[in-house]
Amino acid sequence: MNPITPIINGLSITLKHLFMKPVTLQYPDERPKVAARFRGLHALNVSHNKAKCVACYLCPTVCPAKCITVEAGEDDNHDKYAAKYEIDMLRCIFCGYCVEACPVDAIRMTGEFELANYHRKDFIYNKERLLEKK
Amino acid sequence: MVNLTIDDKQVTAPKTATIYEAAKLNGVNIPILCHDKKLKPFGACRMCLVEVEQMKGRQIPACTTPVTEGMIIRTSTPDIVKARKMVLELLLLNHPLDCPVCDKAGDCDLQNLTYEYKVDSNRFTDEKFHHQIDYNNPLIERDMNRCVLCGKCARICDEIVGFGALTFINRGIETKIGCEFEEGLNCEFCGSCISVCPVGSLLARPFKFKARFWSLTKQKSVCGYCGTGCNLTLGVKDNKVLTTLYDENQGFHNGQLCVRGRFGYQFINSDKRLTSPLIRTNGRLTECTWEEALTAVASRLGGGNSVAALATPRLTNEELFLFKKLMLDNVGSSNFDHSAGYAHAALTEGFTRSFGASASPASILDVQKTDLLLVVKTDSYETHPVIGFEINMGVKNKGIKLNIISDKRGKLSKLPGANTLVHSPGSEVAVLNAIAKSILDQKLSDGSAASIPGYAELEKSLAAFTPEAVAATSGISADSIQKIAKDYASVEKALIIFPVGQSYPGHNQEMASAVANLAILTGKIGKEGCGVLCMSEKSNSQGAVDMGFYAQNGGMNGLQILDACKNGTVKTLFIAGENPVVSYPNGANVKAALDAVDFLVVTELFMTDTAAMADVVLPACSFAEKEGTFTSTDRRVQYVKPAIRKNVKCKTDFEIIAALIAKLGGQAPSAPASVFAEIAASTSGYAGMSYVSLQSEGAFAPVNVTPKLVASKAAQTVSAESGKLVMVTGSALYHSGTLSQFGEGPMHVCPEVYVEMSRNDAARFKISEKDIVTVSTATGSIKLKAKVTPRMPEGVVFIPYHFSEAPVNAIWNGSAVTVVSIAK
Repeated sequence: MNPITPIINGLSITLKHLFMKPVTLQYPDERPKVAARFRGLHALNVSHNKAKCVACYLCPTVCPAKCITVEAGEDDNHDKYAAKYEIDMLRCIFCGYCVEACPVDAIRMTGEFELANYHRKDFIYNKERLLEKK
Repeated sequence: MVNLTIDDKQVTAPKTATIYEAAKLNGVNIPILCHDKKLKPFGACRMCLVEVEQMKGRQIPACTTPVTEGMIIRTSTPDIVKARKMVLELLLLNHPLDCPVCDKAGDCDLQNLTYEYKVDSNRFTDEKFHHQIDYNNPLIERDMNRCVLCGKCARICDEIVGFGALTFINRGIETKIGCEFEEGLNCEFCGSCISVCPVGSLLARPFKFKARFWSLTKQKSVCGYCGTGCNLTLGVKDNKVLTTLYDENQGFHNGQLCVRGRFGYQFINSDKRLTSPLIRTNGRLTECTWEEALTAVASRLGGGNSVAALATPRLTNEELFLFKKLMLDNVGSSNFDHSAGYAHAALTEGFTRSFGASASPASILDVQKTDLLLVVKTDSYETHPVIGFEINMGVKNKGIKLNIISDKRGKLSKLPGANTLVHSPGSEVAVLNAIAKSILDQKLSDGSAASIPGYAELEKSLAAFTPEAVAATSGISADSIQKIAKDYASVEKALIIFPVGQSYPGHNQEMASAVANLAILTGKIGKEGCGVLCMSEKSNSQGAVDMGFYAQNGGMNGLQILDACKNGTVKTLFIAGENPVVSYPNGANVKAALDAVDFLVVTELFMTDTAAMADVVLPACSFAEKEGTFTSTDRRVQYVKPAIRKNVKCKTDFEIIAALIAKLGGQAPSAPASVFAEIAASTSGYAGMSYVSLQSEGAFAPVNVTPKLVASKAAQTVSAESGKLVMVTGSALYHSGTLSQFGEGPMHVCPEVYVEMSRNDAARFKISEKDIVTVSTATGSIKLKAKVTPRMPEGVVFIPYHFSEAPVNAIWNGSAVTVVSIAK
């Protein structure tokens, strides 16, 4: 084989890619478009100005990483609510079982994926932080 | 036994069994909502439908149909499954689907059956109920919207508890379970209804929303309150005891519990628990290390007989055994006791001289097997409620004749056919002697009685107790005494029970001998359903007696120890768990004694009034945190294992005593198991027992009886001069000792001490319910709330002893009957 041919072939591929749309993103200047079914940071759904969660403990029960801590409380109407709802993102494996298990559609997973932080304690998302994502 | 076929399997079952029981016995599970082992068949839920070949084409309820020879039963044909699905659909029509917020989820029979039968849709539609939910009760929450009308709560309350707080009200679709006049629950709060509810209609409010059922670890244990020895299943999560769970197969009582056992567990994880050793420096108790505290204690234990000890009979056998060893071998003192000395005298003195053994020659199981029960004091129900349930069941289901000799009426007197003889306070021994006299006079005694040692002396001593003479002082007619004697002697099997305890000083050795005489004279001993049962007060009172942790061989008893503290003979007092400031007679005297003693060591769970006076306080562990054995009142030895890990800063009494033995140069045992081996080798009746053999269920330590008739002296009757009343002390149903003050359940129901009096006295002194009255004696005076009840006879008031706030020992010097004056 002509020793030049492979070089030309290679260069043609390079040349072709030079004019193709790049597959990489100039993150963080450019933002990726996450899929609707992406499993990112959790959010607690809100209805009538309060969390829908009724503290049934199904999510901590189903969670394979045991990263969810719920403590139930009794409100003024004697209804059950989550007095404490914490997810330890360092343990979470983003499997989405919590969403699947929830009987009242109180938890969902958002497209939020930028979860890096400086302190371990900042990875523990309490109820207020989870509620922020409307 | 009858032979029958269940699902193509040849099986046998007892003649009295129902199809449901026969199936269960042979491992075939029939679904059911309205059945409990202890209750009578009811047939409300229609889930247990089965087909019997002989009754072609019909589906019949398994729970109410008795088995017959040759029955061919099928428990799950397609037709039956269809019918059961239909039943579930109809139940779910009105049952709210609020499982996520219902505490019963996970343990709910309806939920489990719905899953099992895959009822995921409903062909029918109807509105759910909108009954008002009772949130106000501190212990039992009632949500009748979830009710499936199985009736178990109403039945258990009626059949076993004998209270009848709940019942069906209204008719048809409006039917619901409710209380009288649709008011709130005002009952004994034993929680039996909660335990049997198949759905979330009745829930334990203290446990509300605390945890889901499936996250609880079930730890078997033995109740640490009274001497009945009920078995408990504790629901534990994150090293906290959150609730007690129901297990119908547990113990002689089939999981049945009283208010203290079911709702009194909160003291285990109380915030008020002591967590650090404390030592008195400059007059104040300050935290210190264990090493400092134990060194300080060990340095004061060297004084031989100038050291004394008081222990609570809530310690395990191992701890008491080791404590005794510490006192005898390492300290060199024989001054140790529990429960003030008199609370166990019935066993250690009375039964020892009458039966030759310091234990009751009967068991709780005999209650159901007997023909006639003679109960001394209606308080037997209050002190040992679960034995009370056994009496209820025996009287109602088996027609046991119930005779009661008491200084007041009580719940037991309300049982059908109960014959209650109310005597003047303090005359129970005289009445018992009169019964013995009457047995002799009517020639009802057993043929062999005359040959039993002491017969002649007894006959002579009884001369003074003719029914007529006793009738004059006791207020019971001679006829009634003669009738009770005749009834008791003429039945084949008869059992006598009486409670003992710190608040029953009259139930002493004299009473023990008096009742023992009755049993011995009539030969009602050593047989099934016969004997005498002395109901010891605390969880291990019998064990403390068996371990010999009481004054023997010249040692001082509890009250003598306190006197010796006061006059300076005792210089170091070691109190393990007792709270004499509240529970021993004459509180002022106890306080003076504890003030006077040079060095006071207290091991306690809480900063009690006694601990507050100590020089060193050592934080100890509750029954849920330690290993050991408890011996119940009928000498059933039961193994207790730790349900939760103890706080690392606390030590069990076993560890404390072992450390002290080591410090005093002795050989400290490594584990309770090795001490129990010593106990088994040295204690009569315990031979052959080991932790391994006790783990699954307890074992009875047999009691060898050598009967002897002993003349018992009756106490002088006390009569109040005009304008005064006589006071008797005792136990309140909701409390046990002073420990239950730290259980939230008992304190919700009975938060403070009261004085109970008759309506006539209340009218005479112009006192109405809940008035604050001053009760005073020569010893002192206290202010209490008045409680006016029909059960008290005129001229008698009752005050329970459990409370640190206004303790009854401020006005009580330890006599069985005290004359008091009452003013508003």
